[in-house]
Amino acid sequence: MTVAGAGAIGPRSTGLGRTLKRNRLYFAGLTPAALLLAVFFVGPALWALGSSFTNRALVGIDAANPRFVGLDNYTRLFGDPDFGRVIVNSIVFVVGSAIIGQFILGLGLALLIDHAQQRGFRAANFVYAAVLLAWVDPTLIAGFLWVAMFDFYYGSLNVALSVFGLGPVNWFGQAPMLAVIIANVWRGTAFTMLIFLGALRTVPGDVYEAARVDGASAWRRFWDHTLPMLRPIAALTLLSITMSTFGTFIVIQTLTNGGPSFQTEVIALYAYHEAFQAHEVGYGSTIAVAMLVLNLAFAVFYLRWSRARA
Amino acid sequence: MNELERMAISRRRFLQIAAATGVVVACGPAATGGGAAATGGGAAATAGKISGTVTVSYPDEAGFKPKYVEQAAAAVKAKFSDLNVKIDLQKINSDDYYTKLLLQLDSNDVPDVTHVSGEKIGELADAGYIEPLDSYVSQWADWSQYSDAVKSGVTYKGKVWAIPYGLDMRWLYYRKDDLQKAGLPADWKPTNVQGILDAAAAVKKSNQTNVIPYALYAGPAGSGGTANHAFVPLLWAYGGELQDKDGKWIGDSPAVRKVMAYYAKAYGDGLSPKDILTATKPWTAMREKVGNGQLALLFEGGWVYGGWAAKDKAATQANVGYVLHPTESGGPSFTVGGPGTCWYITAKSKNKQGAWETIKAVNTKDIVAKLNIEDPHPVARSDSADVAEFKADPYLVASSQALTKAKFTPVDAAYPKVQAAIQKATARVAAGEVSPTEAAQRYTDDLKQAVGADKVTTQS
Repeated sequence: MTVAGAGAIGPRSTGLGRTLKRNRLYFAGLTPAALLLAVFFVGPALWALGSSFTNRALVGIDAANPRFVGLDNYTRLFGDPDFGRVIVNSIVFVVGSAIIGQFILGLGLALLIDHAQQRGFRAANFVYAAVLLAWVDPTLIAGFLWVAMFDFYYGSLNVALSVFGLGPVNWFGQAPMLAVIIANVWRGTAFTMLIFLGALRTVPGDVYEAARVDGASAWRRFWDHTLPMLRPIAALTLLSITMSTFGTFIVIQTLTNGGPSFQTEVIALYAYHEAFQAHEVGYGSTIAVAMLVLNLAFAVFYLRWSRARA
Repeated sequence: MNELERMAISRRRFLQIAAATGVVVACGPAATGGGAAATGGGAAATAGKISGTVTVSYPDEAGFKPKYVEQAAAAVKAKFSDLNVKIDLQKINSDDYYTKLLLQLDSNDVPDVTHVSGEKIGELADAGYIEPLDSYVSQWADWSQYSDAVKSGVTYKGKVWAIPYGLDMRWLYYRKDDLQKAGLPADWKPTNVQGILDAAAAVKKSNQTNVIPYALYAGPAGSGGTANHAFVPLLWAYGGELQDKDGKWIGDSPAVRKVMAYYAKAYGDGLSPKDILTATKPWTAMREKVGNGQLALLFEGGWVYGGWAAKDKAATQANVGYVLHPTESGGPSFTVGGPGTCWYITAKSKNKQGAWETIKAVNTKDIVAKLNIEDPHPVARSDSADVAEFKADPYLVASSQALTKAKFTPVDAAYPKVQAAIQKATARVAAGEVSPTEAAQRYTDDLKQAVGADKVTTQS
């Protein structure tokens, strides 16, 4: 329930004072959250927006005298040959790791575990726990775990291959994007799985009963009944994992740090590198603003999609 | 005009909001820089009354420095009973330390003494983060022990900004055992640049298990090593320069194209491993591999020898050879010199006199000699080379002599940015994404992005 919605209850309540009085409980409840959001989200976002119009730097002459440079940073961004590549990388990473990987795998796992649990198949709990364990790992630990897996010299994968007289394979050299996608899917699938497991419990069993009586196949039951019921929650899940994946950079930083040669450089990592490695805070902020705009576009798209279909 | 006005408003508003939320820390550190310098000399006169606290912040992963810093702190405290020295040792690599330090310097909570590469002098001075030391060194008798070459390495815009303890130089290291197994002599010495690739190819052909022929740093992962331990020596070997006579940075040139072709060969033929481009701190692994015989050839800092020697001095002397960098035509070999890691006083320090006393104490003849024996560099102050232990070490003597054949990296505020451009350009050719010619052209673009198009030129 929103404040506006609450206000709509009394059409005769005119004037700010009366509105405040009538809805004081809502205001009292929402103010702490609004303040926290302002301090930790709106403030820094505005700061980044402001910085993006300056040549603010961490060191050098621009650190001593930051100047307003108008749209220079934006002009530079659109003329930056690396930026196009970074956008493409980000889209490949989000589609590969969030949409194809985490979402489909998470949904599949949820369906399997739900099915198994309904049949009393206990082993499903082990799968559930294993997927969950990957999720509770701190991101940095998860990153190093996959470094230990993919490393050229000491990595478990190459050691395992050498037992069969194969390899070594330079995973990060030959398929860097695939490597970081696999690591991120492994790390993040549990979230989607948990959401869908919860959602599946809310699907009433008699719907399936009726469908079964009608002689519908398992696939049809899924397609005609399960999926439509999951759609609103699916949109929300997609939105959430798309945005978090878009902002991911610790996993990639640990695994390839964007390399080799920008092949895994995603937008969040690029903003970080420009701001804190090249020490150009102004330009780094510009990239962050571009990221914010793209994230908003994703959000609008998903929300419209879920409203249109639900 | 309207646009400007709107921006001005948005700037004011964002500052207001940011200030209200506590995001913005004080701006304009430069404002304090100039004035404080003037007080330096005056304060020197009151040397007897130094009190308060001095915070010394420095990074050290290898662990050679702490005992000497502690020794210096104790000496300062003994000399000035009212002075307290706080040591902030950061056990992180120098890149991470530098970013952390810059964020700190941008705030008001700064250390009094800090310790970073002398290559940062230009950009730190331009930012107003560091204090010029002229008024201090002019009253320091020991300053005469520093040669003019050393002094010019820490001079920027006519002022002295830092005190070095040891100078940077580099060697082309080779594993005698690995090369011998490849049919090369134990006292191998390449006649020209091609000789390095030939030796690497011979090692590769000899098919020794777990031996990488050669490591040539490339890309951002290689950090400062990509420029100073790979691109720059190769550029000089092929007769190129970083800057022209007017101080413009040279992009595409015949020498740069040759360097890129060299990279293409080293990576394309599998002589240098591609995971240098993605590993976190690849130099850690590469240095370790030379130490245990798993890497045959590496151009690296003279100081890394200390790590191998600390582990097993006899084996290092027996197996690790070191030569100067060859040139294209077999001309005189050379090394890459640099100011090394230096001690600085921060501009916002509230106890500059105490800071200076601490810097002096950590740069005595004795400490400089001992520190450079453990963490091998040619000594910055000449009298430290007279210490018997230093003179007795053949490696240190050779390193010091090599400095006479050193070409120094530029003392220029833009050099760190140029290094970033070099990292991008070498990554592309090493990853096999572009041809050497294209890589050289893209280097011009990278340079323009980094330092501005008006400061870049090309040569045909």
